[in-house]
Amino acid sequence: MPGPDIETVVAGYYEPLYRFAISLTRTEADAWDLAQQTFYMWATKGHQLRDPSKVKSWLFTTLYRIFLESRRTSTRFPHSELVETDPDLPVIMPEAARQLDAMQALAALSQVDEVYRAPVSLYYMEDCSYQEIADILGVPIGTVKSRMARGLAQLKVIFADERPGPQPTATST
Amino acid sequence: MNNHEAKQILTLFRPGTADENDPSFDEARQFAKTDPELAQWLEAHCQSYLILRQKFKTIPVPAGLKEQILSERIIHRPSFPSFWRTPLAVAAVVALLLGVVAGIRHVNGPDRYAAYRKRMTETALRSYSMELTSPDPAAVRNFLQSKNAPADFSLPAGLRTASLVGCAATKWQGNPVSMICFKTGRPLGPGDQSDLWLFVTDRKSVTNPPSHDQEAPQFAHVNKAATASWSDGSQVYLLAVVGDETFLRKYLQ
Repeated sequence: MPGPDIETVVAGYYEPLYRFAISLTRTEADAWDLAQQTFYMWATKGHQLRDPSKVKSWLFTTLYRIFLESRRTSTRFPHSELVETDPDLPVIMPEAARQLDAMQALAALSQVDEVYRAPVSLYYMEDCSYQEIADILGVPIGTVKSRMARGLAQLKVIFADERPGPQPTATST
Repeated sequence: MNNHEAKQILTLFRPGTADENDPSFDEARQFAKTDPELAQWLEAHCQSYLILRQKFKTIPVPAGLKEQILSERIIHRPSFPSFWRTPLAVAAVVALLLGVVAGIRHVNGPDRYAAYRKRMTETALRSYSMELTSPDPAAVRNFLQSKNAPADFSLPAGLRTASLVGCAATKWQGNPVSMICFKTGRPLGPGDQSDLWLFVTDRKSVTNPPSHDQEAPQFAHVNKAATASWSDGSQVYLLAVVGDETFLRKYLQ
């Protein structure tokens, strides 16, 4: 059965892929390249994917791998087991969240340690199950949850400190 | 389960997603119904999650990204038996890629020419098909002109020693770019049709193009390719070859 054509795939995923990319790279130019490179990989290798329901997971996985390779990360981040985060940290208050615009939210996310940033990005931006996120990141589900919890704890501190920091490169519209 | 443990679990709970049906959250959510402080905490968590989720989903995507991706789509080299390759290549599939429609308009740093150089060279290094396969310079110019791409370029004398193979019209930030393909005479890789490429576009199409004042071309490496860039009149030229600068120089004399 033929898979989806590239126009359909691009139309369906270029925006979420770009948003995931910029959460990783922090700059528009790098995110642009990363998204393009991902679809290039799709154009050349996507036909090997037999299950059309896996297109999204394939694209996000590929993008993340390209990102890791571009960072010359020859070994994956070490796996870590779920550890306790401080549950007494104040939850991000809805009022504080409302006051942010998208770029300020992105700026705050960009301050989260890189190893935790991708899980947190997927936590907010995508409707992936935890298993899908684990597949995308190439780590066990326990590690996903551990990193996510730590990343969210960092994000809460960043919001609490009210220091979103320098914004990533603004995008054009 | 206590309040502390429930918060640890529910920190990862995402309202409005598949987590609603994820049994691993069931116990903690049930517990929250018996603990008013936890229920209040969970309500705030869910609200802020939904707000932030909406913020992140509205991060602006650059105009032109979709068009550029589609314009760069590469036709995968068919893995047909070798006796099929030549006819298919001659039949020349559709044009590949190319170009760059809208660009990174807000990033006007001094390296923007480098972005153009990188994008074009990587285009050449990837698998592609030419829109026109012809050794006839006039045919190439006519074709490019028909595509509103630069056709009045001037070739360095050294480049005339290479064999013209064909061309394609591409774009950079919505501006036309001519891609002229040559063969150096070295053995080509399987499926490759050319190994030397000249890109020509208007100087106004790129940011920080090579200055007219520079007597020598600017050399730079992009992946496994050596490149040379120079300006001539209103146009900027980018020559790329797989190899080193010494090899490239022979085509610039």
